[in-house]
Amino acid sequence: MNFKKQIFGFMDMLRFKKLVPNRREALASGSDAPLPQEYRTNELAKKLHPGNMKVELVDIRSLTPDMKEFTFKRIDSRAFPFFRAGQYVSLQGKIGNSYVSRPYSIVSSPREALENKLVLAVEDAGFFSGYLNREAKVGERFIMTEPAGEFHYETLRDQKKIVCIAGGSGITPFLSMAKSMEEGDESYEMILFYGARDEAHLAYKKELDALAEKGLKVIYVLSDEERQGYEHGFVTAELLEKYVDISAVTFFLCGPAAMYAFVQKQLSSYGLPVKAIRKDATCCKNLEMENPRTFTLTVRIRDKVYTIDALENETLLAAMERSGIPAPNKCRAGGCGYCHSKWLSGEYRIAENRDGRREADRKFGCIHPCVTYPMSDMEIDVPPAE
Amino acid sequence: MEKRNVKNYDVVVIGAGNGGLTAAIRVLQGGYSCLLLEKHNLPGGFATSFKRGRFEFEASLHELNDFGSPKEPGDIRTLFRELGVEDKIDWIRIPEAYHLITTDKKYDCEMPFGVDAFINKMEQYVPGSRKSMTEFFELCNEVRDAQTYSNSVNGNTDSNYMKSHFPNFIKAGSYSVNEVLDALKMPKEAQDILNAYWCYLGVDCDRMSFLHYGSMVIRYITRDAWMPKMRSHEISMAMETRIRELGGDIWYHSEAEKILTDEKNTITGVRLADGTIIPTRHVIANCSPHLVFGKMLEQKSVTEQMIRATNARTFAGRGFSLFLGLNKSAEELGIKSHNYFIYDTADTVKQYDLMRKVETNHVQATVCLNNAFPECSPAGTCMMYFTTMFMSDDWGNVSETEYFKAKDRVAEDMIRVFERETGCRIRDAIEEIAVASPTTYARYCGHPQGVIYGYETAGWDSLMPRMMMMKEDAGLFPGLRFAGGYAMRSSGYSSAYVSGDLSGRQTVGDLKKEVR
Repeated sequence: MNFKKQIFGFMDMLRFKKLVPNRREALASGSDAPLPQEYRTNELAKKLHPGNMKVELVDIRSLTPDMKEFTFKRIDSRAFPFFRAGQYVSLQGKIGNSYVSRPYSIVSSPREALENKLVLAVEDAGFFSGYLNREAKVGERFIMTEPAGEFHYETLRDQKKIVCIAGGSGITPFLSMAKSMEEGDESYEMILFYGARDEAHLAYKKELDALAEKGLKVIYVLSDEERQGYEHGFVTAELLEKYVDISAVTFFLCGPAAMYAFVQKQLSSYGLPVKAIRKDATCCKNLEMENPRTFTLTVRIRDKVYTIDALENETLLAAMERSGIPAPNKCRAGGCGYCHSKWLSGEYRIAENRDGRREADRKFGCIHPCVTYPMSDMEIDVPPAE
Repeated sequence: MEKRNVKNYDVVVIGAGNGGLTAAIRVLQGGYSCLLLEKHNLPGGFATSFKRGRFEFEASLHELNDFGSPKEPGDIRTLFRELGVEDKIDWIRIPEAYHLITTDKKYDCEMPFGVDAFINKMEQYVPGSRKSMTEFFELCNEVRDAQTYSNSVNGNTDSNYMKSHFPNFIKAGSYSVNEVLDALKMPKEAQDILNAYWCYLGVDCDRMSFLHYGSMVIRYITRDAWMPKMRSHEISMAMETRIRELGGDIWYHSEAEKILTDEKNTITGVRLADGTIIPTRHVIANCSPHLVFGKMLEQKSVTEQMIRATNARTFAGRGFSLFLGLNKSAEELGIKSHNYFIYDTADTVKQYDLMRKVETNHVQATVCLNNAFPECSPAGTCMMYFTTMFMSDDWGNVSETEYFKAKDRVAEDMIRVFERETGCRIRDAIEEIAVASPTTYARYCGHPQGVIYGYETAGWDSLMPRMMMMKEDAGLFPGLRFAGGYAMRSSGYSSAYVSGDLSGRQTVGDLKKEVR
């Protein structure tokens, strides 16, 4: 072929010769104004995802005999990021020589976050939550991770009508979701089934009753107490049917694993698609085990090497925290991937149904220490905590 | 507080994206020590995956261009072979080139791989297009041969050799896609169908250089496109494993904040956000010159020339992607193709203009991965991802409290347009959904404005003069080279790997010269 654009081929060739001088000249004649230091989209990203935040405890109040409410403000900024109601933060601190960290659903609303207020409610149930309930004081400072998690409404996925089922302290994300609906940031119609032992163990009853006047539908279900105006027993299919069309709603469940199993079984005969039932993640705990063996865990963080003891029944993350190594973590449930680390050697097992790794992570040997238990001496390469 | 790290490195690579990973392997293969710094906790940058429920989504890769089969490897497979990562990855071949749909002219064309098959199919859609299409591919072949020659001499081409062997390459070389196709007297409809790939380069065909487009199209059509089975995360993990094998170090959660220099403006090290200093004299930056010259390089070493050269350039598209895990199979939903390009208009100039605003942009490059790799999600389900770009900073107007709604609006529009144009009903099948907006891209990769395509390769800044000025551009600051989407080869997976290959090997060359 003989390509030609202009009458004479050499004119096309001449144009080609000018490509470099043209570019050279264009580069030299760019503006000499200073290069931008900030970009709006990147600023928004920083606002929504500030990473770890420094927070101070500003208020504590009792909710039930074994649950307290903790209000925080940020001390490294004037506001918490706007988030999606239902999401969680991880609260992190140091007790003695150990790092501690737990994910908690946010109770306050996304709008309140903009007023530098973030509320958590914590049941006195473990090491860190026990510390918070019994020892933490106003003025104390912690690290808090940015709001995260997929337990929230999705406008394009979920039904307009949502049924939220809370068991005990699992009420927390639903407070935020109800408030966010009331504030106009969410478009669902919310029906809440709140199960507790007895009336005394219902947290936030006053707040929920107030929200009920503005569109929230609440059904209290007491297992150990019969009382007028309350349902008695558990959240059964029969009870649900009294209030909703089960096949026309999206379920949001938050509570203990036993509750998930119970509700799932109640709904099993309806042939609901997987997408109809969303469950909030639960923290991965130590294994029940008599006389767990002790292994040596070698942890590489950048150019530092730590050698520590790791118990057979504790996660690698828990072992590192116990030894005072600040390892990155958020969900402690295997799913968020924030603790993603490189496996170097040794045997391990992963908590049942919690292997949230990508396929290639399994192939090339990466682990999520928050759900991984050692079965021999091990060596891992962990990114430094932020 | 500044802590001094005892170990120093011959080269520090900033950013473990496609360019950075490749560059690090090249440096290590050259026999030099290398530290790869990454602010995220994963390798790959955009080349990654993420899980939602039962689905593992591909974050960005549509198909790997210029890959080819094991027996007839394209340039990228050959590069992967040399890097020692080809065999670490399970590959699948993409079945067809593309499915073009335009709303205005009602195009609905499924184009195959293979030059003959492509020309035949075009003749079916546009009778009378055969001659110009055949000439188009002849010209593209010459373009490819010229580029192969140029690469073989490291860009130091002999102009007489070029003139005698590749005259058409030179004569067509300064023109846009549309100018060349007009000169070939290609029927307008055939031009419309052929130009479908334009959104992969993100510049309309009045301003996109023919050489750039032609060299991409010929690689797609003759060498097929391929893809790793475990999403692009498999490539990134294979490369990071290779780096460890070669004795390289990788630090995650380690954002490079400053490139340090001495009074002679020689690089002395890299400082991390936490104050750690890593002594080095060579940096390969897998990030934008806007960040490097605007923030990272010590102010005293930033020259007026750097500022002018950086300000002169234009950001390419800001990315937006929607990911859907569907609870029905592709077959049940009637989704037939792997790779759809859906445009409002076949007129690329008009379309580019519509893409400036979030509200008027309805373009989508959409993949149903199961149609290339059926096992990518559980039986009875399928996965889709939809990508578009904004050709201005319009997304920057979104406020914090409007953010989630703004994402939903664009995502909903993508679903609406796909359903309208293909007749497939997908909305009720959504089991998992995720959206990546320019804000998300800005967050994970730090690119200004959430740009995913580096600098626009349009007009004076098109691919050819960039390649011819590679040496000159690197002279802007000795000791510093760029890799990735903002580097000389512009954006896209294959281009980013090639830029990492070039900058990695060139840095090895710099180090060897120093010894001499």
